[in-house]
Amino acid sequence: MDMSLVLDGLVKRFGAITALDGISFEVPRGQVFGFLGANGAGKTTTMRIVLDILRPDAGTATWAGTPTTDVPRETWGYLPEERGLYPRLQVLEQLVFFASLYGIPRDVAAARGREWLARFRIPDYEKRRAEELSKGNQQKVQLIAAILHEPVVLLMDEPFVGLDPVNVALLKEAFEEMRGRGTTLVFSTHQMEMVEELCESVALIDRGRLVLGGSIRDVKRSTGRQVVRLALDGSSVDGAGVADAPAWLASMPGVRVSRPGHDYVELAVDHGVDPEIVLRAALEHGERVTNFLIADPSIEEIFIERVGRPPSEDHHLAATEASAATPPSGSAPPAARPPEVAA
Amino acid sequence: MTAGQGAGDGPRSGYAARTMPNITTVARREFMSRARTRTFRITTILLVIAGVGLALAPILFQWLEGESRGDRVEVFLGDINPPPNVDVVTALSQILNANAGSPIPLPGQGGDSAPKFDVSSTDDLDAARRHVVDGSSIAVLALGRSPGAGDLKYDLYSKDSALSRKVQLIRQAAISITIQDRLTRAGVSPIDQARLFTPPEFSLLPADPNAKPGLNPAEDPTAFLVGFGLSIAIFMAIILYGQWIAYSVAEEKNSRVMEIVLAAATPFQLLAGKVVGVGALAILQYVIVAIPMILAIVFQGQISSLILGGAGALGGGGAEGGGAASAGIQFTTIVAFGVLFVLGFATYACLYAGAASLVSRQEEINQIVAPLTFVSVAGYLVATYAGTGLIPIDSPVVIVLSFVPLFSPYLMLTRLSLGTAGPVDFAIAVLLLLIAIPAVLWLAARLYRSGVLMYGQSPSARTLWRALRAD
Repeated sequence: MDMSLVLDGLVKRFGAITALDGISFEVPRGQVFGFLGANGAGKTTTMRIVLDILRPDAGTATWAGTPTTDVPRETWGYLPEERGLYPRLQVLEQLVFFASLYGIPRDVAAARGREWLARFRIPDYEKRRAEELSKGNQQKVQLIAAILHEPVVLLMDEPFVGLDPVNVALLKEAFEEMRGRGTTLVFSTHQMEMVEELCESVALIDRGRLVLGGSIRDVKRSTGRQVVRLALDGSSVDGAGVADAPAWLASMPGVRVSRPGHDYVELAVDHGVDPEIVLRAALEHGERVTNFLIADPSIEEIFIERVGRPPSEDHHLAATEASAATPPSGSAPPAARPPEVAA
Repeated sequence: MTAGQGAGDGPRSGYAARTMPNITTVARREFMSRARTRTFRITTILLVIAGVGLALAPILFQWLEGESRGDRVEVFLGDINPPPNVDVVTALSQILNANAGSPIPLPGQGGDSAPKFDVSSTDDLDAARRHVVDGSSIAVLALGRSPGAGDLKYDLYSKDSALSRKVQLIRQAAISITIQDRLTRAGVSPIDQARLFTPPEFSLLPADPNAKPGLNPAEDPTAFLVGFGLSIAIFMAIILYGQWIAYSVAEEKNSRVMEIVLAAATPFQLLAGKVVGVGALAILQYVIVAIPMILAIVFQGQISSLILGGAGALGGGGAEGGGAASAGIQFTTIVAFGVLFVLGFATYACLYAGAASLVSRQEEINQIVAPLTFVSVAGYLVATYAGTGLIPIDSPVVIVLSFVPLFSPYLMLTRLSLGTAGPVDFAIAVLLLLIAIPAVLWLAARLYRSGVLMYGQSPSARTLWRALRAD
């Protein structure tokens, strides 16, 4: 039996707005899966459908061949984008409460809760009320609440947002450990470096549609482009401190400068063009090459190429939007937002 | 819909195994987190004090009035000859302070009621008259004998008019004393006098031979009191604890904790857990408040004599009413009350939860639950009016409404306690409630499911409609 999370043709409409427009992809079991998309792309709605918090208008979500609605609840762990705890309940009691909902005995839950609080370096907070905690610490408590019952699949909406570098490192460590135990980790993020670092597979959605998906390697290959980083000794530097790309580079067919930089220039090499021609041309032009690297395009570049704007910029934009307007039905952000809003 | 299924369409076996455990878990959290708040403790203590205070109100009222024995009336006998055959001061005091009923003081009757008049004798008519003028007494009654028949005659000095109730009472007392005086002078022994004044048998029967007994609440004040009290108990529980549930839902929604909970439990489980948890706490608080109150009512007589002392002890109406009320609550009424309380509360609680799930801020709760509160108040008022006879208890409106689920907890209880509804009526009302509760749960769970993830929208009919249609 196929032991993966399969989404097939998910459609979800909120009134006139289509939040999901036929999303299909597969999360292999035991992998760390990055779920990418601009705010309002439909990530949260997709997660809510998998968890049966929302029902799709069409399509199915299955885990190991079983509809996700019929999978025992304790299979899932969920860290929603909207962080929330009972404000007046003590930290450990919250943890025990959430674990109890998944059938974990109270004493076991308390012991595990203390263990995790210690791991996240907040052992003294077990008797504190949630409302007394900082946002970052609340988020850690909430993450513990999501994993205390040791779910098979952990769905997390922007788990890294709002954490300082120390806590990001702690969280990554926890990810690695859970992955080692065979937990399937699905998380959405705007931080593409996290995707590069942690994920084996990704799905990129935009305005309710899947743009691309699959293993990181396949996704990178799918662009048909390669990236060349070229550093030349003695490049002239202009007034802005940016190295001028040598004139001969601009005349090369199938090669263009994607990012001029201090130390090196980054070149996008079209599909079918051998990146080595750049090195040969450099040598022919008598340049001293200090660094030459052939790489796949970064996920961030692919994101920009496919969605038309960088994820970080979109995040900022969407955040201001979210505070200004709410969708007319359901809290899922409008996916079919007019393009000019985000442009 | 079976337990374990959500508000949606398809089966959701993923939740089924955890229906009861999750209801228990949610109920436990709801119960504990609320029971531990300072607000709950303070409210409970205040309610206990208020309950006992209410039960002992007549005694406390009297006690607070302190040593004042009532309005002072002075009696001036002067050189009356022959002296009256009656101890005028005692007789007057007894008659004035006796319960309405017997116009004549008989040995052993009256006099133990709350004294409204403080009767004393005086030798100085002028001083006594000055007391009336300065307000320290209300009247001076000066006795004499009429020259002819030798009958007693009275002069009353007072600032009150001849038509005032106090003057009327004193006048009536004077007549009684005169009759006693005449009888004694005519040689009738005190025992014969007592027999003379024994009230006759007197019964009140309905003119219409087909009329059902007990239709007039005035005829059965105990039944009325019981029905009225129990209706208030249900009404307060629904308004007070329904609000608790509404606030609890809004708090979860406000703190955004809802989404995590909904990933683990169905709206049905959450809703049922809340109703059970808050309901259990409500019953606990009720019991805590009711026990001292009932004890206070039952031992009203003893408490009264303890506080006020033997002579001033509250008897008559108060103790009788209290005793009768406690004795009058029959086991069947208690059972009916328990059943209607639980079912009525559950119905309203589900609706309160469903309604509250539609709003985003706690300030909006009152607005969204207003229609429910209105229905609740309406049911309670109709029950009260029917109980007091403002609306005939056997009017078709009352009878029909006493079966309608949102009204039946109030009206069926009133009809039962007044004896105009039988076990069959009660069973039908309970059956209808039992049918209504799953429907209400379904409706509430459906509202809940789409409502809890809805933020920033004003509660309107359109929102409601959309929430109901949404999947």
